[in-house]
Amino acid sequence: MSHLTMEQLLELRAPGLEPGQEMVRTHLDECPACRAEADRLAQRIARLRALPTPRPSRDRFQEVRARYVAEGRGRRLRALALGAVALAAAVALAVVVTDGRTAERQDGRPTGLAAADELQGVMTRSQELEAALRAYNPDGRMLDGRTAGIALRIEDGLGAVDRQLEMLNMMQLGAQDLRREQLRLWRERVGLLDALVDVHLTRASYAGM
Amino acid sequence: MDVYRLAQEEALVARARRGDASAQEAIYRAFETPVYGLARRICRTREDAEDVLQETFFEVFRSIQRFRGEGSLWGWVRTITASKAFMRLRRNRYRDADELDERVTEPPRDRTALRMDLEAALERLSETARAVVWLHDVEGYTHDEIARLMDRTPSFSKSQLARAHQRLRRWLGEEVQA
Repeated sequence: MSHLTMEQLLELRAPGLEPGQEMVRTHLDECPACRAEADRLAQRIARLRALPTPRPSRDRFQEVRARYVAEGRGRRLRALALGAVALAAAVALAVVVTDGRTAERQDGRPTGLAAADELQGVMTRSQELEAALRAYNPDGRMLDGRTAGIALRIEDGLGAVDRQLEMLNMMQLGAQDLRREQLRLWRERVGLLDALVDVHLTRASYAGM
Repeated sequence: MDVYRLAQEEALVARARRGDASAQEAIYRAFETPVYGLARRICRTREDAEDVLQETFFEVFRSIQRFRGEGSLWGWVRTITASKAFMRLRRNRYRDADELDERVTEPPRDRTALRMDLEAALERLSETARAVVWLHDVEGYTHDEIARLMDRTPSFSKSQLARAHQRLRRWLGEEVQA
């Protein structure tokens, strides 16, 4: 048998003897050169463990704490904003339904009620996806850099859609335009939430132990 | 290796879960040096390591509700540190340049007799190889755990470790003694 490779020497250091390592162990016992190599490896690892621990150049606790506090405040604000969006949507839905009682399509079906049903359906889907995200707890999971970037872009997109939904009720739009815009934005919201759920379900790993 | 066990860890964690600043500060003070030390061994620059330190503690404070107390707090913090450090590596897109650096900075054969300091030799390894050496040989991670952290296979971790030791051996001038 030729001398042991570095990989074999390292494997011998792992606890327990894997099947097939008997010959390797026997060789080590009989070969002074490989024993010397194993000793050098052990010494090198001991020296690595004895290296001094580098220290940070300055105290960053206050910065971390400030960010933690700011994020808590941001979360509360986002929750409020989401509440405002839901309230705005409920008001808009009421407008659409009221409008539907007076406007009828050529086929005799009230257009307002059909749109209200559709809007209600999209909003329900949005709520389901948000509930799925909350249950999945994305904050407790780790994402690689690329995936975190994707999630961040989707969340930014969601923020933009929510802002537009809030603004919609402040705009002087006709009932039909309002209905169309609401439907468009809520569909967009569902699409983004769908993508976000997909990112977290397929790419995250759990950080909680 | 779990040398950083906190006194009254459970009570401290319970207070930190409520956002108590003094409990958070106690956790920060206890783990600041090992967190930075690990980050510094994985990241290329001091600045990156300091960012990882900050990211890690932010994540710890934010996610401490998820810490179930089954292992030590340090074990949990250490996993977050390693994850954040690898995230930083990936975000900086160092990997490709890093592997190139490794080929470029390999000292010529006729200079290998010049012994290098272990710290300098470690610094000279690629980020991937250095991280594997540190996590495996110093922190005591298994190849399976390293593979999960790095999003690679255990065989990748094993071969990185073996190659890194061959390089260290050569750079430290150990092979001339053989």
